[in-house]
Amino acid sequence: MIELFTYDFMQRSLLAAAMVGGLCSVVGVFVVLRGLAFVGAGTAHAAFAGVALGYLMGWPPLVLAIIFGLATVWITGWVEEKGRMKLDVSIGILYTTTMALAILFIGLMKTYNAEVYGYLFGSVLSVTSDELRIIGGLSVLVLGLIVLFSKELYFIAFDQEMAEASGVPARRIFFLLLTLVALTVVVSLKTVGAILVFAMILIPASTAYQLTSSLRTLTLYSIVIGVTTAVAGVVISATWDVPSGPAIVLLATTVFFISVLFSPKRMKRAVQVHAH
Amino acid sequence: MSDSLEPIIRFDHASFGFPGVIALKDISLSINAGEFVGVIGPNGSGKTTLCRAILGLMAPVEGHLHIFDCACDALRCHHRAKIGYLPQKGVVDRNFPVTVLETVMMGRYGALGLFTRPGAKDRAIAMEALSHVEMDKHKDTALGHLSGGQQQRVFIARALAQQPKVLLLDEPTTGLDMTAQHNVIELIEHLHDELRLTIVLITHDINMIRSRVDRLVLLKTRLFASGPPAEVLKPDILSQVYGKDLVITDKDFIIVEDYHHHH
Repeated sequence: MIELFTYDFMQRSLLAAAMVGGLCSVVGVFVVLRGLAFVGAGTAHAAFAGVALGYLMGWPPLVLAIIFGLATVWITGWVEEKGRMKLDVSIGILYTTTMALAILFIGLMKTYNAEVYGYLFGSVLSVTSDELRIIGGLSVLVLGLIVLFSKELYFIAFDQEMAEASGVPARRIFFLLLTLVALTVVVSLKTVGAILVFAMILIPASTAYQLTSSLRTLTLYSIVIGVTTAVAGVVISATWDVPSGPAIVLLATTVFFISVLFSPKRMKRAVQVHAH
Repeated sequence: MSDSLEPIIRFDHASFGFPGVIALKDISLSINAGEFVGVIGPNGSGKTTLCRAILGLMAPVEGHLHIFDCACDALRCHHRAKIGYLPQKGVVDRNFPVTVLETVMMGRYGALGLFTRPGAKDRAIAMEALSHVEMDKHKDTALGHLSGGQQQRVFIARALAQQPKVLLLDEPTTGLDMTAQHNVIELIEHLHDELRLTIVLITHDINMIRSRVDRLVLLKTRLFASGPPAEVLKPDILSQVYGKDLVITDKDFIIVEDYHHHH
């Protein structure tokens, strides 16, 4: 077992999993609090359509994934802002349209391309050094922006209209959040795949939500849960030869259900603080 | 009455809404520095629209609105930070994982601007705001664990942490029990007296505020009446606005049936 950690591929995988786990869990805090779960799921499928087009045309797949992901979140954000359509309807349409495009692009490929499926199901154990650099670079960018705008992001997650009324440029911060969600999805695509990436974003933050009533602690718990389950999932995957994406997500889901059972918030719900 | 007659909010023949759906029509109204103004009117009379307009979230489709001598269209974020806002209860997710102090600190964010982290000074301002509403002992308590009245106090403290010139309160007593309603209104009156804040209080509860405000503004899509409570609360004026929903008891207690039917 120890020998496993001496392999280069394993070290790369663990590093990729830790970075993706950490990044997803931080972005997830804002996604869960702002109620954007479905937006993220839609973005993942849109980004996958970009990857498929990239392989079909011989263009860089990650660049196209970013373009498709950003287009999806920005259209969704614009639709919500204008109040033209319910958010779940607009994202539902984009979600299925981009998935249809992905299937079309794959169908148009003359040969079977295993790498495309790697982006659909995730293959952290085959992450290359170049991919690791891209993951690292984008992670630093996304986390840097979150640190820079954390107070505004927390405020719009709490109440966007109140934030705007208090003098925070809430609309611009909302679009920044959507952009960060899209970039996070793209960064994580290779590691956990388009289908499971959203679990990496949702589950650590949702688990932490059960455990605390403080924003700071919520973020901290979410990171610890995200990084730990991602790294442990990779170890399980390598040790028992099971696919890495499901190993990470099922482990995180188990932790989530345990947290629901033992949630101190749930137990304290009836307790009211009496002043005076 | 108010300390000066310097208007800080000025509606000039302003109408609000969307093409074909006008929520407020031809409003001309000035709110002066230090004034305590109550805004009343039946459901759908445009009270919330007036609130959104003052917050700079809605520009007039006709006429003009000036806030701090700045045309509403040109309102910048730092102007908005001068208006402390208490939204209607229920609009905010009360189970959001946030402590009392974290909630009040959000009041500093607009004033601080982007890229500036809240420091010890902001924390001190937030703690002072909490002590004004007598909630400083609960600074580390989860917001969701407080009673409705206590949560309202925390949200008032959040508005105070902005160090605002105007405090805009949208139905601050709705959903609270009678004691909590009374306490919240007393707190608002106390803040007006102590901090010399301009207060705009939107409410359906005429009896609760009639003896406390300098002026009442009565809306029904148009500005129906504006003046000292004794001038506005006349049976003939009220019955024109509230119609058969209005009951005035022999002790001059005003009951509006309409509100209770709809809530």
